[in-house]
Amino acid sequence: MILAIDETRCKGCNLCTKVCPYKIFKEGKKPNRRGIVVPELDRPERCTNCRLQQLYGRTLCGVCQLTCPDQAINWIEEQPYELKKVAIEY
Amino acid sequence: MTFDDWYRQDRLPHIFCAGCGNGTIINCTLAAVDQMGWKKDDTVFVSGIGCSSRAPGYIVTDSLHTTHGRAIAFATGVKMANPDLNVVVFTGDGDLAAIGGNHFIHACRRNIDLTVVCMNNQIYGMTGGQGSPTTPRGCFSTTTPTGCVEMPFDLCELAIAAGANYVSRWTSYHVKELEKAVKVGLETPGFSFIEALVQCPTAFGRRNKFRQVADHVEYLRAHSLLKAKRDRLIEAGEAVPDDMFVVGELARRKRPALGVKP
Ligand SMILES: Cc1ncc(C[n+]2csc(CCOP(=O)(O)OP(=O)(O)O)c2C)c(N)n1
Ligand code: SF4
Ligand code: SF4
Ligand SMILES: [Mg+2]
Repeated sequence: MILAIDETRCKGCNLCTKVCPYKIFKEGKKPNRRGIVVPELDRPERCTNCRLQQLYGRTLCGVCQLTCPDQAINWIEEQPYELKKVAIEY
Repeated sequence: MTFDDWYRQDRLPHIFCAGCGNGTIINCTLAAVDQMGWKKDDTVFVSGIGCSSRAPGYIVTDSLHTTHGRAIAFATGVKMANPDLNVVVFTGDGDLAAIGGNHFIHACRRNIDLTVVCMNNQIYGMTGGQGSPTTPRGCFSTTTPTGCVEMPFDLCELAIAAGANYVSRWTSYHVKELEKAVKVGLETPGFSFIEALVQCPTAFGRRNKFRQVADHVEYLRAHSLLKAKRDRLIEAGEAVPDDMFVVGELARRKRPALGVKP
């Protein structure tokens, strides 16, 4: 599962950037087609719910989803095989 | 199921302004409702008039969007006519405490088996920002252009004094706590009142030095005083800071109730 913001719903209030304990949401830079600056996701695979919700069979944390006033945050199925460039942090 | 299954997807995105706290409170309430295992056909949402009162229009169950201030009066009718229904009321500070003040205290006195969630943004949001009975002293609104000089209502104290079985207060920052509080409210027979302080960036924040939505949410977080902490302060004979408001479960009791499912 992977964290995703639904761009058709987000109104760019940036509340998600305040509440995520991992600071995954970062203020966006460019307005989208609707003129809304949607936040960007910084390594969303760090989200506990992305990693563990299937193992535990329930939502873990989920504070961003409850907080988002516009019901724009969700976890969606990942593509089965997706190459990712990984920067090694020392 | 999750709270998202209770939303009318075809109605989203809703009309609330960017950053409005109302959406957060609806999420938390629906998350609690979802955990109750109630059938959608047995659940009714009732509201009056105001931005907050538009909530039932975004929910899949049957609902009543009534006249200003009368949500609790209509909800009382629904519950007394058919106690098998689960009745939840969404209301605002103006709807509940100004025009609807008398319905509120008498529903508490009768202790009718309803759960009332009040989105208290301390202003009349929908009509452009007039002061409400909960506008704090010194705050600006279109009817208090030099700062409010009146004392505000403490809605929770009002509900406790009038006889409600369950009373708690949280804010739009405390989403998990709010979800739990609503759930306890739904489970408690009799009148349950949950006050949620929310940000209204358009009518309140803009006039009261909250330039960013997050600034107002941070203010709500920083000025929340946990009930347990308040009680400790009182016990130690120390002063309770008067710029803070108490959050937590403020009442839970078993007074005789009306309209409880047989
Ligand atoms: C009988 C009546 N009086 C006045 C109004 C105008 N009116 C509409 S909404 C509102 C205030 C709503 O305030 P609140 O309940 O706090 O809701 P908010 O918009 O802040 O969520 C008023 C006075 C009305 N619709 N009906
Ligand atoms: S909280 Fe929701 S609406 Fe606000 S910026 Fe984040 S995703 Fe968008
Ligand atoms: S006016 Fe205030 S309460 Fe109404 S939708 Fe806008 S932010 Fe929310
Ligand atoms: Mg209001």
